[in-house]
Amino acid sequence: MNAAALLLALSLAYAGMLGLCLDMERHWKQLASPRLPPAARRACAPAGVLLLALAGWVAGTLWPPAMAAVAWFGMLSLTGLVLVLLLPYRPRLALLLPLLGTLLAGLGALA
Amino acid sequence: MKPRTFTQSMSWLHTWAGLLLGWALYAIFLTGSLAVFDKELGWWMQPEIERPAGDAAAAAAAQRWLQARHADAGSWNIELPGERAPLLGVTAGDPRRDGSTLIDPASGEPLEPRKTVGGNFFFRFHFTLHLPRNLGIWVVGLAGMAMLVALVSGIVIHKKIFKEFFTFRPAKGQRSWLDAHNASGVLLLPFHLMIAYTGLVIFFVIYMPAALDAFYGGDRDALLRDGAPPMQASEPARGPGQSAAPAPLLPLADFVRRGEAHYGPGMLAGLRVNHPGRADARVIVQPRLGSRIELTKGEALVFDGVSGQLLQTPVPTRTSLLSQRVLAGLHFAQFGGYPMRWLYFFCGLGGCAMIASGLVLYTVKLRKQAKAPRRWLELVERLNVASVAGLGLACVALLWANRLLPVELDRRGGWETVAFFGAWLLCFLHAAVRAPMPAWREQLAGAALLCLGLPLLDLATGGALDGQRLGVDLGALAIGLLLGWAAWRIPAAAAQPRPRPRCAGAIP
Repeated sequence: MNAAALLLALSLAYAGMLGLCLDMERHWKQLASPRLPPAARRACAPAGVLLLALAGWVAGTLWPPAMAAVAWFGMLSLTGLVLVLLLPYRPRLALLLPLLGTLLAGLGALA
Repeated sequence: MKPRTFTQSMSWLHTWAGLLLGWALYAIFLTGSLAVFDKELGWWMQPEIERPAGDAAAAAAAQRWLQARHADAGSWNIELPGERAPLLGVTAGDPRRDGSTLIDPASGEPLEPRKTVGGNFFFRFHFTLHLPRNLGIWVVGLAGMAMLVALVSGIVIHKKIFKEFFTFRPAKGQRSWLDAHNASGVLLLPFHLMIAYTGLVIFFVIYMPAALDAFYGGDRDALLRDGAPPMQASEPARGPGQSAAPAPLLPLADFVRRGEAHYGPGMLAGLRVNHPGRADARVIVQPRLGSRIELTKGEALVFDGVSGQLLQTPVPTRTSLLSQRVLAGLHFAQFGGYPMRWLYFFCGLGGCAMIASGLVLYTVKLRKQAKAPRRWLELVERLNVASVAGLGLACVALLWANRLLPVELDRRGGWETVAFFGAWLLCFLHAAVRAPMPAWREQLAGAALLCLGLPLLDLATGGALDGQRLGVDLGALAIGLLLGWAAWRIPAAAAQPRPRPRCAGAIP
């Protein structure tokens, strides 16, 4: 259960960083389908911020508040770094990773 | 070139603060990251020891052992086994002075595992660089200050800090190194600032002694006495030679249960018994660090050892001291359990990546300049190889030496240290005679092979595999694969149809 919550927090932090990333035109062009309306891009930053906040909330269930804050910063930094490394090499995986992570966390919570 | 503008002078500062102390900083970061798992590495390095029973049983075994051999000692110290290092250590007297004896809680017999410097070596190296203690602390402090300077000047000279927040363009020579340096620096900036600043705060008394001199006349103990919580129950005053009447000590297992009721199961670090076997016996129950961010060294519950009465509970730390202890606690990372340790470990490795990419970036940039002094460039390149790849190799070599040196060797820990520095010295020699590119490749490949071989070595020479040892083995395996990939990438880059200048000049 604990491991599942940790994985969920990491997935949410990653998804949040991905949201902030997609908000930038360069990365939007690189990752998003050209059929998507430009308005979708503008929703990415708020969605990213919301997901980051959710990651903090999940971290708050794993640790007391002050420790959760420390862990939150660490998770943002590390998932951001993973995203930066995936972008040039595996852009598709960069998009799918948070879904995979959340799915795995869900399976872990059920098991 | 003389700097003209503010940005140029900041750039100059960033280059020199980063380069000159970068080698030391890399060593501090790598050993610091390893020191996150110091107890686990220490456990790996003593394969003779197996996982003992719970705390209460361990305390009972310790009491039997001490009662039989040291009934008349002034004090006993018992180090309880924990999740990270399941060791039961007992001492009659001061554990730092007299050294503790490990005993098997099941049989009550003393254990004699191999002597080793343990994971503690990385911890000590992290803040002293194996120099004499005070000199080392000053050098590391200087490096920490240089890191803060490099971070702040780095923020100033980074032109597109937000625009290139997520940018990494591989296989583009200097561009890629700059991207890697920026990404690892900017994304991990909260960690870098925190770890450099809190690292300096730990030794505030050494680095900034002015207040200590002014208020306490330089007397460090007086400061510590003032900061310590007031004693609620003082020891009864007694002249020399006098001692309280003999009285039986209650079973220590009871105190463990009461301590666990207060701090939580498995949260006790150890017990101290003052005047065992006498009417004024005191049992001091010490919690493990990590229930809070604050570094709660010295906190304890104090019981009367004969009546079992609770005499003293910990009081909250004074605000001024609390600030320092929370900052130190942030650096020591003893809180939050294993997930937090892994976060710190990976953030530390990210710091290593930032420093190493910065060091390489310097040489890549310099090589492009026609007027660059070749001898200086060559020196920096060679130092880079040995201090980045070579140190990694030396760290694994220490673990190999731990298993390969004869168990009964005299001054065994010293020989392990010799193996570490010997391996590192060989890397410096190797880097001095080889061209930089092959030197990088060979040292990275060497470190990768040692890492990949470590699980096999453990299987061949180790005791029982448990969570801790398996973790070290799997970690080494993962790092070995990463290093192997890095080594393998170097010739691949050189064989590209359009050779990059950094490779063309380097291969003889």
